[in-house]
Amino acid sequence: MNTYLSLMLLFPLLGGLISALVGRKLPRRLVEGTACAAVWGSFACALLAASVYRAPETVTLASWFTSFDLLIPISLYLDPLSLSLAVMIGFVCGLIHIYAVFYMAGEEDYARFFALLNIFVFAMLTLILAESLPLLYLGWEGVGFCSYLLIGFWYTDRNNADAGRKAFITTRIGDTALVIAIAWLFQLFGTLSITQLNGMGFLMPGSVITGLGLLFLVAAMGKSAQVPLMVWLPDAMAGPTPVSAMIHAATMVTAGVYLLSRMFPLIGGSTTVMAAIAVTGGVTAFYGATCALAQRDLKRVLAFSTISQIGYMMLGVGAGAITAATFHLLVHAFFKALLFLGAGCVITAMHHEQDIFKMGGLRRTLPLTFWCYLAGAACLAGLPLTGGFFSKDSILMALWHQGTPLFIGLYLLALLTALITAYYSFRMVYLVFGGSNGHAPVRNKELSVMQLVLVPLAILGLFGGVLNLPAYLGEGYLNGLFAGLAGGAAIHVSHLEEIVLQVVAGTLALAGLLAAHLRYGRGRDQRLEEAKSPDSPLTSFLMQGWYFDRLYHMLLIRPYQTLSGILWQKVDEGMIDDTLDRLASGLGSSGNWLGRWSTGRVSIYILSFAAGGAMVLGYLAWLAL
Amino acid sequence: MSVPLYHVLILASILFAMGLACVVAWRANVIMMLIGIEIMLNAVMLVFVGGSAQWGIADGQIFALMIMALTSAEVSLALAMVVYLHRRKKSVNTDDFDSMRG
Repeated sequence: MNTYLSLMLLFPLLGGLISALVGRKLPRRLVEGTACAAVWGSFACALLAASVYRAPETVTLASWFTSFDLLIPISLYLDPLSLSLAVMIGFVCGLIHIYAVFYMAGEEDYARFFALLNIFVFAMLTLILAESLPLLYLGWEGVGFCSYLLIGFWYTDRNNADAGRKAFITTRIGDTALVIAIAWLFQLFGTLSITQLNGMGFLMPGSVITGLGLLFLVAAMGKSAQVPLMVWLPDAMAGPTPVSAMIHAATMVTAGVYLLSRMFPLIGGSTTVMAAIAVTGGVTAFYGATCALAQRDLKRVLAFSTISQIGYMMLGVGAGAITAATFHLLVHAFFKALLFLGAGCVITAMHHEQDIFKMGGLRRTLPLTFWCYLAGAACLAGLPLTGGFFSKDSILMALWHQGTPLFIGLYLLALLTALITAYYSFRMVYLVFGGSNGHAPVRNKELSVMQLVLVPLAILGLFGGVLNLPAYLGEGYLNGLFAGLAGGAAIHVSHLEEIVLQVVAGTLALAGLLAAHLRYGRGRDQRLEEAKSPDSPLTSFLMQGWYFDRLYHMLLIRPYQTLSGILWQKVDEGMIDDTLDRLASGLGSSGNWLGRWSTGRVSIYILSFAAGGAMVLGYLAWLAL
Repeated sequence: MSVPLYHVLILASILFAMGLACVVAWRANVIMMLIGIEIMLNAVMLVFVGGSAQWGIADGQIFALMIMALTSAEVSLALAMVVYLHRRKKSVNTDDFDSMRG
């Protein structure tokens, strides 16, 4: 187990280091091969670890810090949560790496790209497997750093670099909360081991746990792009498409959900925290779905859908259903990676056109992409019997099961969101793939390989439901796996109730599909005409993400810029620089003035000398008298 | 001791002041300035000798001898420089030699 876990981390790290250090000297095929082999090797180790897994296990590899009572070992912890995520990350990232080889075939700077991609995987696996909070934080910052560099990968374009900075700075707000939480935990408990901390929550009063839980929630908001720190994710589309797929599916935004699930035994005792998590998730799910309704950029639709789906996962955590949240996380990783990679195929085929209103008819020219994309959209929409349907439904059921007015309200909000989700998913499908073909798409060898990568993801997305089938269809696999975990216990409701809830959710998804069909399937040409006219206020409100960007610009960025302008021009240049300049010129001119004394005439010097001597004598005489 | 020390000191002070006045006032001629310096040095020597006589210690007289030796050396050097300077500028006025202006 020790070997498997360390190799799981070392493969991507080594791959990344090789690409980073000597990648430019090596042939291109070798760098690409190393990068893919590293991730698949890591996946193989994850599978081997899963095959020998019996019970939660801690593996200490080395000691990192030892100073007084601060002990931070490099230790890894394998339990069902980390195991399932590690397997998923290895698989999804492996596929994305293969896809990236072909997607980035024309890119000159391949060594940097694959180095960052590998280190991204390494950082996420560190985060997942860490047993101590500082090690988790190392991975946490690692994914933030890699995402910053990868979003701004084409940094010569100012917009891309800005998007990278925005992602980094926004998530930093959450990171700060996490650091505070870690420091506070150490001060309270004297240990930073996650397993120990999770068993010690009862020692502290509820208010402390609530405070800690809220800090963790803020950390998760930043990383997982939850309201109100979600503004970075739509802009993160500036990166290459495989990077978007990694960030959205496997390596970045799920970190927040994972953190909350991981710390659930500690913070789950506080109802306030749970309610706060659930409300954040519910609001975010609704926000993301409404924004996705109006987007025109294909990748931005998917970005907002990610925000919305992560909101569902937070809802699951808030309802205390870790299994349901993880189930949705896994299935979402498959279908969101599928959708992004499919979008990458579409964008490549459309000569890097991303406006969905300018696409169309691709179902005939890119049939494989179409069918896979359709599967992904069906999962996203939660059409009955797809993976997304079961995972979303288990979250809805957990909400319903809580029974308090707040959670029933959130349940209704989540149902409404599900309806909107189905609508925007198929709006996207109809606009991109439906109608007549306006463009001649590119066809080349790369594209055909890229399309093949979609197939396994589509299968996993469609049949992801078997990971955790509802009770009336047999025992859920994840339920069995997670049974020993806090918050992992299966929710027991009668079969009838479960079926009724699923029928409601399924009906809503189908209703969304029907609405999208009526509006964009038949009336597609009419919608295209409408799109040419200026947007209605509601559309632009949704298109701009409820104007959150503008709000933050007004509330935070503009005051900050004004303040830095004042500090720069008034304080730094005006006060500090001017003071020093004046002082220097004053000293210079007084020096010049005094310099006139040294005339070079001996007589003046003697006179000055005599006067000085007289003054000394006078002073002495004055002292003596 | 027939002459009290403070008489010697008063005389030395008067001599020193006169020498200083000579140096300060007679700047038109560098030789006169050198003479002023000599007078000041003699005033100092007088103080040494007076002190030596007062306390009956020979140190002061030794210093007086050393100052004499020093003055002779100084005068010989200074007069050589005066000759040189006079050759350069045809003048002994110290105000003409102001090339070391700050």
